Amino acid sequence: MMSLLSIQNLCVRFGTLEKPFLAVDGVDLNVDQGELLGIVGESGSGKSVSMMAMMGLLDGQGTVTADQMLFDGKELSSLGPREKRRIIGKDIAMIFQDPMTALNPSYTVGFQIEEVLKVHLGMDRKVRRQRAIKLMREVEIPDPERRLSAYPHQLSGGMSQRVAIAMAIACEPRLLIADEPTTALDVTIQAQIMDLLLRLQKERGMALMMITHDLAVVSEVAQRVVVMYAGQVAETGLVQDVFFHPAHPYTRALIESIPESCRGARRLSTLPGIVPGQYDRPSGCLLSPRCPIAQERCVVERPELIRYTSRAVRCHTPLIPLQELKS
Amino acid sequence: MNDIVLKTENLARHYEVSQGFMKPRATLKALNGVSLSLQRGKTLAVVGESGCGKSTLARQITMIEPPSAGSLWLDGDRVDAASASQIKSLRSKVQMVFQNPYGSLNPRRKIGDQLEEPLIINTDMKSDQRKERIRDMMQRVGLRPEHYYRYPHMFSGGQRQRIAIARAMMLNPSIVVADEPTSALDVSIQAQVLNLFLDLQEELRTSYVFISHNLSVVEHVADDVMVMYLGRAAESGPKQTLYDKPLHPYTQALLSATPSIFPEKRAVKIRIEGELPSPLNPPSGCAFHKRCPHAVARCSTEEPVLREVSGRQVACHLAEKFV
Repeated sequence: MMSLLSIQNLCVRFGTLEKPFLAVDGVDLNVDQGELLGIVGESGSGKSVSMMAMMGLLDGQGTVTADQMLFDGKELSSLGPREKRRIIGKDIAMIFQDPMTALNPSYTVGFQIEEVLKVHLGMDRKVRRQRAIKLMREVEIPDPERRLSAYPHQLSGGMSQRVAIAMAIACEPRLLIADEPTTALDVTIQAQIMDLLLRLQKERGMALMMITHDLAVVSEVAQRVVVMYAGQVAETGLVQDVFFHPAHPYTRALIESIPESCRGARRLSTLPGIVPGQYDRPSGCLLSPRCPIAQERCVVERPELIRYTSRAVRCHTPLIPLQELKS
Repeated sequence: MNDIVLKTENLARHYEVSQGFMKPRATLKALNGVSLSLQRGKTLAVVGESGCGKSTLARQITMIEPPSAGSLWLDGDRVDAASASQIKSLRSKVQMVFQNPYGSLNPRRKIGDQLEEPLIINTDMKSDQRKERIRDMMQRVGLRPEHYYRYPHMFSGGQRQRIAIARAMMLNPSIVVADEPTSALDVSIQAQVLNLFLDLQEELRTSYVFISHNLSVVEHVADDVMVMYLGRAAESGPKQTLYDKPLHPYTQALLSATPSIFPEKRAVKIRIEGELPSPLNPPSGCAFHKRCPHAVARCSTEEPVLREVSGRQVACHLAEKFV
């Protein structure tokens, strides 16, 4: 089966020509139709930047290069801005972490949903209105006729996120990118929004990419997961493999640092330090200063992402024996 | 072992809010009769959705504003009836750590100066004694001596939270109120900061009021848990009792809504509909009845009182049904 989205060697450079900073460093991504892919990693690991780069939302900041960025057979980087706009927001849609800032405070939510329908589908006013009400009903907003004329500040965080989802699914996208969609919400509302996203994904057969730092959410819903670290893919594979038999020390450290994994112990296990920034990237493996099992080779030689049958790992000394990875 | 550092009885805070021009003012009952007690060196976690009164409770405990009704004792001193000067001296016993370390530190002042300020205001220590104390505290929270001369923007989020914790600990308070201290941090950094909290508690016997909506974090740090709903306690008791068998339908829903990384730990999801009702216009009877999957007729008319059921306090008419 051909994948819906296939990205090869995506790089995003910020900063000057003399001293470029690779915020995204050779990321490969594949998303199949109707698949639910999770992308996890700490802040600064390049999760959001790579998606923004793919969507062309970096707005002139940074240089984006890629060997390949195929969406549904079309090369995104060769499209002109006009053709690209026809895909972005229609076939690929995105929802963001903070629904309050994703919506324009000066317009009613009805106007904002209808705007999408007008721009992408060219519907006339009456049809748009009916469609907007239907969309709001679909994202379970009570009393949609009245809510159409509400302004974003009149809605709660959960309701605003529902409006943002309604806008995103208005044109029946094939791929929905959700960047930390539930992080800003309460647990009960978080669960409601996740249920909604999963239901829409199933009903419409759309692919869903969940960018989050909440490993538990990914573990509950995703089929495959990509673990990112400092702009690179550290490990990718099926959720049950990656989370319960991690091959990369970074994945293991992430899993072990969540309170759930340390039940009974007074102290949580931690990964010392933070993600290296622009000026302190090590020359060897990017994790080497924080890695508990780093060896001499890790300090000097940067590992490549090695692909095995069901997963890919970027580590000189994977935690799982090679035979097992290859089988 | 009955060393209570913090105790409240029916603590309430009501706000008068304007409804618009020429309309009568309404009363918003942000905190509506909360009783709790906290032992020295222990952690009480307060959980609930946004708008349930967690932060209002923190504002009462830290004496940022006076309660509308009810009483509050700190280390045996009654606060609500105290004079302004008494309150000033009591304030140094309670310190606060905020959610956003980017907002709670002054961007224009060096870390050392910010850590020194509480000592200048509240103690008569000499300059070199203060420096000594700051150096000691910085080492304890895992900051290096050269950080003394740096500004907040030079630190990462996790380090800033360490600075905020160091500042809260400067006066050796009896109680630290931490309002969502790790929700802005990554999991790996969250683990570092939680460890720091636990280490300091062990060393200094500080009591924590830990406000959070992350139930897996609460499970790790808390001794006692209080679940709040619309300004009142829905259920409160020892952590293990609540987590093993939550009796209030709201606690059950919160716990089952918390995602888990382990498939075997995932309970059947109880979904509660809708959102927190407006505290300006709370529902009659039990505040939770409109969202409760178990609600019966009685729940919409009669307000449940907090009562003891199998080892914890719970405010639900049907609590016995869930034992």
